[in-house]
Amino acid sequence: MSSLSSLLDGFASVLSPQNLLYAAIGVTIGTLVGVLPGIGPALTIALLLPVSLQLDDPTGTLIMFAGIYYGAMYGGSTTSILLNTPGESASVATSIEGYRMAQRGRARAALATAAIGSFVAATISTVLLAFVAEPMASFAVTFRASDYFALAVLAMVTVTALVGASLPRGLMSLTFGLFLGLVGIDSLTGQARFTFGVPELLDGVDVVTVIVGLFAIGETLYIASRLKDLPAKVAPLEPAKGGFAWLSRQDWARSWPAWLRGTLFGFPFGALPSGGAEIPTFLSYTVEKRRSKHRDEWGNGAIEGVAGPEAANNASFSGVLVPLLTLGIPTSATAAVMLAAFGYFDLSPGPQLFEKSPDLVWALIASLFVGNVMLLALNLPLIRIWVKVLQIPRPLLYTGILVFATLGVYAVSGSVVDVLIAYAIGVLAMFMRRFDFPIAPVILGLILGPMMETQFRRALLLSDGALSVFVTRPLTVTLLSLAVVALALPHLPKVWARLRGGSGARRLSFAEDD
Amino acid sequence: MSDAANTPGAAKAAPGPIIAAGLLFAVGALLFTQALTLAADRGYAPSGPALAPVIVTGLWVLVSLAYLAESIKARGAAAEGGGSWRTPLLLLAALIVYALVLKYTVTGYVLATAAFILATARLLSTRPVREVIVRDLLVAAGLSVGVYLVFTRLLGIVLPAGVLPL
Repeated sequence: MSSLSSLLDGFASVLSPQNLLYAAIGVTIGTLVGVLPGIGPALTIALLLPVSLQLDDPTGTLIMFAGIYYGAMYGGSTTSILLNTPGESASVATSIEGYRMAQRGRARAALATAAIGSFVAATISTVLLAFVAEPMASFAVTFRASDYFALAVLAMVTVTALVGASLPRGLMSLTFGLFLGLVGIDSLTGQARFTFGVPELLDGVDVVTVIVGLFAIGETLYIASRLKDLPAKVAPLEPAKGGFAWLSRQDWARSWPAWLRGTLFGFPFGALPSGGAEIPTFLSYTVEKRRSKHRDEWGNGAIEGVAGPEAANNASFSGVLVPLLTLGIPTSATAAVMLAAFGYFDLSPGPQLFEKSPDLVWALIASLFVGNVMLLALNLPLIRIWVKVLQIPRPLLYTGILVFATLGVYAVSGSVVDVLIAYAIGVLAMFMRRFDFPIAPVILGLILGPMMETQFRRALLLSDGALSVFVTRPLTVTLLSLAVVALALPHLPKVWARLRGGSGARRLSFAEDD
Repeated sequence: MSDAANTPGAAKAAPGPIIAAGLLFAVGALLFTQALTLAADRGYAPSGPALAPVIVTGLWVLVSLAYLAESIKARGAAAEGGGSWRTPLLLLAALIVYALVLKYTVTGYVLATAAFILATARLLSTRPVREVIVRDLLVAAGLSVGVYLVFTRLLGIVLPAGVLPL
């Protein structure tokens, strides 16, 4: 029951005018960047970090960031349904059937099942989060350095193996991120590493610089290389039929089981270090397609194909928060930026967070409920505004992204060298997009790498340098074995297909997280 | 997949990943030798500062070789979207000039940003200047002044004021 009373305290804190305002700002910005192509929640949070540091209100800021994360998911579904260009990759599954529905004049039903499904899934999964988080945190208190090391290994391996088209490319991205994490002065010995005589590099490469380079600069340069291919056909929104009759009785009947199943996929996959929402959304899509009684509609706009993946998408976010808050382990790029945001406020997510800052944690969790109510209101009645946003001319949109990207790096560092580093990383990111390298592993490597090294060396210091510490603790061994299984898992379908004599089976792989 | 080989230009585009892999390998090897130099200096003790660099850069070398193998195997199979290099190069030049002007001249944030917006919007646009110039000018003026005022007045972040009396 203690979780319940803590949650009620959280609600009391969230319902203060100031925190409500933060939540409202967060979900609005989130929806905006979710709708806009080329800018996602990770980049937005990175750009807002310098601003939020000025505000000096950790609880409010984190409520706003959570709102951005959630809002981007709602907004992303709008873009994928109306434009067939998913604003973020977790909406790819939604766009398959959603865009078809819009083309057949059922855009409103698709948007409604996405928004209401998101709301249902988010609410259920936040309840789960509220009740899983505290037991998880008290279990995590027993974790030692070697366990954290193993956990970081597991997180990195699963993210990389399951993201992107090929293992070498996923690993290359990860290695690049790990390398970026090494740059700077070693925290334990003061040894400078890979600084190439540049004094600005002694402090390491800031996560904001990397994210701005990877997402804003890289994406814009890539878009610039293929301007002629830009799609810009917004499916028209059919006129309202009067009242709030977005969904017919039959739509409801077909949607709600898909919402619930989607939630069941989304939450655990978000909580596992498996790279965010792509896997559960595609799993949900596949399951709904297989179970559907309306097989003939698939490919022409089946409502279950929108309802399930969208629910999975939003449920996964509450799942992502479980390891982020209780262990300090990010499982998606956006979670990694949020972890960095905690760091800027001198807060370290992990089991101690629940003991040291319970107010913040529970206000954050309660804000998710409130934010979702706001998002439902923001996305259905106000849908016309977001359709207008979709019509922003692309040249101005990308120009604006570059202006804010430069401003974000300059504001946080005050140094033109950091801006140039961001540009350099942007050039690399352009080539990464061109040659189909996943982006998310770079950020996870950058965040998890130093964490891994520190815990590894701390574990060895505690054991007087005996490496056996990594094979004698059952928890460490379990986590490390899981990492090995995760490395092998994506190749199983291929092996299975080969055993059955078939060929051309696709590996379990999905687009990257944003 | 297989029809990509028949696309004109695919043969020319195919070496892209192989060149990229070669470059990655070369950079990785360079970083690896740096890590080894550090290790020669500080030792390989697992609790020391040199082990992680050696492992990471070593992994870099191995993975870049795996990528090279993958690229050679997939030679001609993967079509690249083509695309031009001119626009991204000009865009990058605009960015660098923008950053340097911001830092090392007295132009100031508002003028530099407005000029950058006009130049970039032109670069990325496929429509004739006449149709969009008024819109672009309005956005350039509004965005640069708006951002400057919000950040300096409301958020207390210092941006170069420059020659404009703001």
